[in-house]
Amino acid sequence: MTQRWVLDEIVDPFGAKVVVETDAAGQVRAARFDLAGLPRVDALLAGQEVAAVPNLVEKLCGICPAAHHLAGVGALEALAGVSEVPPAADAVRRLLHHGSALETHAPRLIAHDRETALAMRRFGKAAMAAAGSPGHFPTTAVPGGVKALVGAEAAEKLAADAPALRDTLVALAREQVASGASLPAFGGADVALVDRYGSPDLVGDRLRAVTADGGTLISGAAAAGWDSLIAELFPGAAAPRPYLMALGPENGRYRVGPVAQLRVGELTTPIAAELQASWLASGGDAAGARAIMTVHAVEAIISLLETGEFGSGEVAVPVDGFAPDAVGVGWVDGPRGLLVHRYQTGADGRLVSAQILTPTAQNEPWLAELLLAAASGSTAGLDLEDAVREADPCLPCSSAPVGGMGLQVDTVAAEGGN
Amino acid sequence: MCVGIPAEIIAITPGILPMARVLLNGEELDCQLAYFPEAEIGDYVLIQNGFVMDVLDPQAAADSLAAFAELGVIELPAEAG
Repeated sequence: MTQRWVLDEIVDPFGAKVVVETDAAGQVRAARFDLAGLPRVDALLAGQEVAAVPNLVEKLCGICPAAHHLAGVGALEALAGVSEVPPAADAVRRLLHHGSALETHAPRLIAHDRETALAMRRFGKAAMAAAGSPGHFPTTAVPGGVKALVGAEAAEKLAADAPALRDTLVALAREQVASGASLPAFGGADVALVDRYGSPDLVGDRLRAVTADGGTLISGAAAAGWDSLIAELFPGAAAPRPYLMALGPENGRYRVGPVAQLRVGELTTPIAAELQASWLASGGDAAGARAIMTVHAVEAIISLLETGEFGSGEVAVPVDGFAPDAVGVGWVDGPRGLLVHRYQTGADGRLVSAQILTPTAQNEPWLAELLLAAASGSTAGLDLEDAVREADPCLPCSSAPVGGMGLQVDTVAAEGGN
Repeated sequence: MCVGIPAEIIAITPGILPMARVLLNGEELDCQLAYFPEAEIGDYVLIQNGFVMDVLDPQAAADSLAAFAELGVIELPAEAG
């Protein structure tokens, strides 16, 4: 059956709606962000040739196609039995991912510091181009590795520009961390990808979950175990309320993204790690976390440039088709957090079902908590815009200038509240 | 997931804060070009929060529109198909 989207809801450049539930006495009981503008494409993908799915999905995404590209290729690799790509290919993918993170975060700066925003965007784009993705839609990765390595000329240009950008972003991040707002504590867990030592790794192959009190719930689970890690309370819904299965649907809510990344382990790049320590000590906000992760991205690119690993070696391991009647899961920790592609193939190799679980869908319960705090006035100084900006849903409103979000607020009677 | 449907720039108003009029699935919208002052009439762009956020080459725009059409979720204007 064809599902036709209401385009005005999806592409309205200003539209965003918050639903506030009140009881008979007018007290706010709940609040939530309406995710109608973020339709699930999962059901529409059934029947597609599985090899074509990543390319199809990334063509739909307006903001972070590189993350969909890498997560989708990862799912195909799981179906192909590829456990590791060559070191050079891994380095090229990392360059793409960190460049994409810089490009994605750049718009937030435009109202504050236009020149730096443009420089950040240019550098991010140049890193992506050097990694084989010169246009909006990435073409870097193939199952088993990458199409091509990084050329010397492009690497030299990046190396020349990186230190100045890093220094500018460090100054901005210090300013942001020092001025961070104090926000209500989140009672759920933090989930991010990590390396073998438990440090945040945006293209890592292990998932780590840390509870609100700092305890390690999951130290490093592989993508192959996805089906026993996280489930959707409302499968396929735009707001599926995913939860950590180890804690159950009542207590298993969690968040992803820069805040979670900074809370699961110590960053591997030195300046960002120093900023992370300050941020943690001051109970920092998401704006500070995002600023730190941009510093981490530039530092990570500089580290890649220093090793030069992306410039020589094998580009890919051979891939001989994708398993029928199987499940493949790929993931990446994108600019907004964990993005998961889960593909299930049928006997004919075509897609039987897909799960595309976005950071926005995973952060929706956190956003609902923040909106409740803002709408009920329980946190001084926190308004609805602050709440949206903190959880950062993948919608145009998130990067609107202060006061310009244009939130529509619908007040409805709470269930059982009359 | 977020959805980015390419829009075609049909007019530009230059200035300190240049503006573009774009055609998005048959509907005309105005948006800011401050972030992409180099964009030109005829370019396909992605819009976020009233700002042009990226310029697509013609092939990428066609591929993206084709992906939306393949899934049957939008109707393409005849010239974009």
